[in-house]
Amino acid sequence: MNHLSSETFKENARAALADVQLRGALKNATSLFGERRRQAAAGLPNWEDLRSQARAIKDEVLLHLDRYLEEFVANAESRGAKVHWARDAAEANSIICGLATERAARIVVKSKSMTTEETHLNNALEAAGMQVVETDLGEYIIQLANEPPSHIIAPAIHKTRRQIGELFTAELGMAPTDDVDQMTSTARMKLRDRFAAADVGISGVNFAIAETGTIVIVENEGNIRLTTSLPRLHIAVMGIEKVIPRFSDLDVFLKLLPRSGTGQRLTTYQSFITGTKRAPQDEGPDELHIVLLDNGRSRMLAHPVTRQSLACIRCGACLNACPVYQQVGGHAYGSVYPGPIGAVITPQLMGIAKAAQLPYASSLCGACREVCPVKIDIPQLLLHLRGEISPRKGSAAERLAFKIWARVMTSPSLYKLSSVAGRILQRVMPISRAWTSGRDLRPIESKSFHELWSNE
Amino acid sequence: MNNSARESILGSIRTHLAASPPVDNYPVNPANPVILSKTDPVNQFKESVEAVSGHCIITTNATNVLDQILADLNAKRIAYSDNPPNAHDIFHFDVGVSTAQAAIAETGTLVLDSSCERHRLVSLVPPVHIAIVNASAIVETLDDALALLQQKEISSAITFITGPSRTADIELTLAIGVHGPQELYVIVDGSK
Amino acid sequence: MKVSLFVTCLVDQMWTSIGVSSVEVLRRVGCEVEFDKRQTCCAQPAFNTGYRDEARLVARRFISIFEESKADAIVSPSGSCTAMVHHYPQLFAGDSKWLPRAQSIAAKTHELSSFLVRVLKKEDVGASWEGRLTWNDACHGLRDLNIKSEPRALIRNVRGAEFVELENADACCGFGGTFSVKYPEISLAILDQKIDAVERAGVQAVVSGDASCLMQIGGRLSRKGSKVRVMHLAELLNESSQQ
Repeated sequence: MNHLSSETFKENARAALADVQLRGALKNATSLFGERRRQAAAGLPNWEDLRSQARAIKDEVLLHLDRYLEEFVANAESRGAKVHWARDAAEANSIICGLATERAARIVVKSKSMTTEETHLNNALEAAGMQVVETDLGEYIIQLANEPPSHIIAPAIHKTRRQIGELFTAELGMAPTDDVDQMTSTARMKLRDRFAAADVGISGVNFAIAETGTIVIVENEGNIRLTTSLPRLHIAVMGIEKVIPRFSDLDVFLKLLPRSGTGQRLTTYQSFITGTKRAPQDEGPDELHIVLLDNGRSRMLAHPVTRQSLACIRCGACLNACPVYQQVGGHAYGSVYPGPIGAVITPQLMGIAKAAQLPYASSLCGACREVCPVKIDIPQLLLHLRGEISPRKGSAAERLAFKIWARVMTSPSLYKLSSVAGRILQRVMPISRAWTSGRDLRPIESKSFHELWSNE
Repeated sequence: MNNSARESILGSIRTHLAASPPVDNYPVNPANPVILSKTDPVNQFKESVEAVSGHCIITTNATNVLDQILADLNAKRIAYSDNPPNAHDIFHFDVGVSTAQAAIAETGTLVLDSSCERHRLVSLVPPVHIAIVNASAIVETLDDALALLQQKEISSAITFITGPSRTADIELTLAIGVHGPQELYVIVDGSK
Repeated sequence: MKVSLFVTCLVDQMWTSIGVSSVEVLRRVGCEVEFDKRQTCCAQPAFNTGYRDEARLVARRFISIFEESKADAIVSPSGSCTAMVHHYPQLFAGDSKWLPRAQSIAAKTHELSSFLVRVLKKEDVGASWEGRLTWNDACHGLRDLNIKSEPRALIRNVRGAEFVELENADACCGFGGTFSVKYPEISLAILDQKIDAVERAGVQAVVSGDASCLMQIGGRLSRKGSKVRVMHLAELLNESSQQ
């Protein structure tokens, strides 16, 4: 899979900006998603209160995450689930591959799980000799195209229907068509027999309820229900931050998530799975294994500003609202998590060295903060990360420039001199090409306001 | 199992939380009760189901209505949740028929409980799903339904169904009937 | 009402008429305006780029200077600079000496339109300007300071001005401080959405409350040879039929 790297965000963005088709697709998708979200939120008079409540619940959980995780695990295990703890991606993949291999699994069906993309689980399963089939339509499309997802909830948003039609014709032998219903039927048909033949079903988890040990997974297509009902073994993979305290808390989150993500009051299906079936003759898998993934999340608990990153419910609303994402799309970020939330969690999960550009790729407009259902203050997070990165990793020239800047700004005589110097420099030196390549630049005033005031 | 990983992760959580400067409690406003529609729950439920492209019939003779629908669909192989076909055969059935233990008026949602019937595949695999729910089992809000489910120990599998299956993954164009049913019929039995 | 003007380094160096107009408008509505010549910058460039120590140096100076003022309020023709001052408590969190001083200064600092409408309760400052114009919501003013209805109220009272709402008026113009030069292509791509909306609005002028947005939008309009001019709200409010 040709993942772009976060380290080359600037180049990735440049390439994305040159892709006319991509920009058209992004414009349509983000404005449509944004409008639907806006309308859905407007339909609930207590929307703002719900956001505050959701954030308060998340804050409570995160402050006592160890306790809530232990409660969840105890309750899930008492109902027959087996719970595994994975410190990092490699450990998670090893556990999951182990489970599948022990049961001589050949075919694995998967429903959309960002967490498994984060760990690159599919590569590990394939290396262990298994056939992995993504069953969410968007994920199925990008799997066929051998591309990473470009959006948290609509992974194939960067592709036009024509591109998808051509892909299906080439890979699935579908008769050429632009008709979306035809393409959907083709996918449905192709995937049906995979579901029937699968030995293992792997899903993500939207919410894990500590009080009851229940995992909750939401969807529109029905592939999650098939993935989690048909195969004998169901493996549910979740980040440790997915826990919420009480079953009744679901009311708040199930009101916020579908509206924020797709503008729906509820997605078509919610599955509430608590342990394994009671009797062998009942429907459903024989085994449920839940994998809890850390992979850098526990580190984020150390500071209230970074801790809020873990409140994210993966709705994607911030992506649709972001002027940067709207222009460059998800691939440019080089991460499973793009857009505003991606810009703050990618450096924290993958390490700053791998994603140092991302916190700077923002105009700090705050549109993301406005739409976040759990009120994550992403601009605050971006500034926090910049505060961590710049003093250590900023270029020597930039660090020096700001040291000089501080001197100038704290000395009236230096400040006065700098405005004189600025006027001269602007006349004799080429002004920053970065600005003037597309915009004219006003000349520095011949008299500053300070000087005008003196003349009053 | 892997206890060292468990202890390591829990330990990491505790250490990092302990390192964190104290923070003010985030202010919480209790959510104001939503003003409900003046329509009675049954009619509101019907409107909500239709708003998500489901069909809803309110009747006092559910059996007749069911027979009529099956006849109209020219259904040949019908799967019933009280005695469902096995997981391989069910893929060849035309219609799945189940009941629902409750329903939510504000969203048009059916609540199906695995401890009451074998609904999981019958309501998912065949291209048409017909569900029968008692009018008296319709609650107004999501909150009500969640409370209802907590009146006893949570069953191992509960499913909420709102309309037929759908996707908008291709150019955000709505396509009905992806992996789940393409048609949903809800029969509201007003006789009970 | 005595007001201490915080003119901002950008206006001071690059767009003095915004400062001049702000003073004249404030005087016209009955304020006495003082200007402390020791002022330089609010520290936003350093803070936004991640240089917090340098930002604190400059912020401490800002606080020390303006603390000495006997004015009732500190007023600035910039939403982003005002928002920066409102962030001073965050910058000095945990600093028992500077935090209360930061909080005190932040509480006294107002953006111009917000000061006129919310504090002085003035929506009509006697301005007149003939022509069709529109308003661009500057992000920090809008989202950090909740400034949305105030500029519109002031503009609606400008005699002769035909106000049209800009499509996606609250969308970012793409400036974002150093973002505009660190990621110029993205900045321009975002900007062009704004420019398209301005062109579709068929206006003679775009008004905004931040010199930075005006430089971004104005710089592109002039590069494209557009006749549309950009104006700061203070400049518009200072227009009168006598001029």
